[in-house]
Amino acid sequence: MTDSALAVNTAQTMAAPLADTKITVRNLHFYYNGFHALKGINMDIPEKKVTAIIGPSGCGKSTLLRIFNRIYAIYPKLEAKGDIVLDGENILDPGYSMNRLRSKVGMVFQKPVPFPMTIFENVAYGIRHHEKLSKSDMEGRVEQALRSAALWDEVKDKLKQNALGLSGGQQQRLCIARAIALKPEVLLLDEPTSALDPIATSRIEQLVEELKSEFTIVIVTHNMQQAARCSDLTAFMYMGELIEFDNTEKIFTKPGKKQTEDYITGRFG
Amino acid sequence: MSAQPGTLAPPRVVEQRTHRDARQEQLFRWLLKGCALLVLASLLGAAGATLWGGREAFAKFGWHFLVSTAWDPGNDVYGALVPVYGTIVTSLIALLIAVPVSFGIALYLSEVAPTWLRTPVSSAIELLAGIPSIIYGMWGLFVFAPFFSEHIKPWLTSNLGNKPDDGKLSWVVQHVPFVGKLFGSDYPFGASILVAGIVLAIMIIPFISSVMREVFQTVPTRLKESAYALGSSTWEVSWDIVLPYTRSAVIGGIFLGLGRALGETMAVAFIIGNSMTFSASLLDPGTSIASTIANQFSEASGLQKSSLMALAFLLFVVTFIVLLIARLMLRQLKRKEGN
Repeated sequence: MTDSALAVNTAQTMAAPLADTKITVRNLHFYYNGFHALKGINMDIPEKKVTAIIGPSGCGKSTLLRIFNRIYAIYPKLEAKGDIVLDGENILDPGYSMNRLRSKVGMVFQKPVPFPMTIFENVAYGIRHHEKLSKSDMEGRVEQALRSAALWDEVKDKLKQNALGLSGGQQQRLCIARAIALKPEVLLLDEPTSALDPIATSRIEQLVEELKSEFTIVIVTHNMQQAARCSDLTAFMYMGELIEFDNTEKIFTKPGKKQTEDYITGRFG
Repeated sequence: MSAQPGTLAPPRVVEQRTHRDARQEQLFRWLLKGCALLVLASLLGAAGATLWGGREAFAKFGWHFLVSTAWDPGNDVYGALVPVYGTIVTSLIALLIAVPVSFGIALYLSEVAPTWLRTPVSSAIELLAGIPSIIYGMWGLFVFAPFFSEHIKPWLTSNLGNKPDDGKLSWVVQHVPFVGKLFGSDYPFGASILVAGIVLAIMIIPFISSVMREVFQTVPTRLKESAYALGSSTWEVSWDIVLPYTRSAVIGGIFLGLGRALGETMAVAFIIGNSMTFSASLLDPGTSIASTIANQFSEASGLQKSSLMALAFLLFVVTFIVLLIARLMLRQLKRKEGN
């Protein structure tokens, strides 16, 4: 049903929204210490699709991603105005529970950052914050998360070892496992492969492909080929504005705006 | 003998240079090794000198020296238990107070405080660390000890002590073992083991908190953000992420403070009461190794002097054991973490 809707939309090269909308962004402005970093963003992010956000450095793509789980709120003097509606509720509403938001929206960062604990504890840590599980249930959950992150076979014999002993690519998959262990609905990936080698990168991209059947994925990337390879929709941002948001295929073959075309053909950025 | 035409440098010069470099390299290495050995030599020298100085006392009293509470220059009988007890207990009290307070200060400065406040408060802490210990001692003797004996001690003795003024034992004393002994006292003044411990705590807080603050700032932002992104609160991020990440440096800072507390002389000599009579009570006066030595060394001779030397050696041993425990603790923690 969703797939056929997407197919129709693709055929007609229609603008978003497509499929079922998971996150609706309306008139979103963001200020860093008074600096106007995002200028009226509107976009509809469809459920269980991969949405890529591309654009040159400083265009606000990471900023936008960091508003979706309000991670920016741990720093003073940052301010978001507008609406971000997740499943019908505005997450920017101060009354929206941070705990609930972070259990629904998981995030994976640029550099792999395992916690200073064992591999098992790295995954179990987040779960413990939100659920009380028996030892065997916890083991099941950790295994399941590691399996979904395509890491289980590599670490199943060394769960009690420190996570810092893993390779960079493994560490990043561990971070993904840690995020999906909470069973979030949305997964935010902030340039998840920028610190990895090509082989580790392709494993992560493959993983993104597998995970989209379960999660709504938003990925910020510097790498246009990566956006083209693994996303269903692509948003192009420039100077704090959303220039164009459409099916990935269309963005990369027949972009509607001159700026998008200049960027993807490498004329700037 | 002359250089052949076409060569850039005569081969002899290159050869000389090679020889000289090798000699200098050798010399430099020896120099560095000498500097490092100097530390080891002074450590062994100090330990050896105190052990040698204390040989008479050790020979005369043997192991009894360690467990005897006697300190009687009249009959020339000496035991180390009172000063050793005072040293260890005051330092433990100091740590018990200083570690959580320092942790709070460091966390506040590195995680919570607004940026404009961080620098002035950090500088203030470093200034505190620079205050000479005699000033802490005078403040303790003239200001804190009287205040303590007037406002805090009466409450402690009547609610937690086994020697209350009205003779009625409180519920806590009747039901919790040891508490009554620790807080029972009929000594009328403030100077005591507890006061010494509290003043020591104030003295070591700047050390511990500035080390902690510095290492907390080395925790990568992404690591903290990852924990926040999983729904952790500031407290959970601090306790589960920041502290384990910086653990060895934090323990190092704590033991730096402990080392200072164990050896602190002047401030403790002012406020511990300098009593050579053993009392388990924290509210009674006692003495520490360093303050006993400072108080008695100028007039001591013979066996008493040797006993003081033996005490100094024991201070070495106590400090060494403390450092050993720190090492073992670190290893244990590392194992638990999967290293």
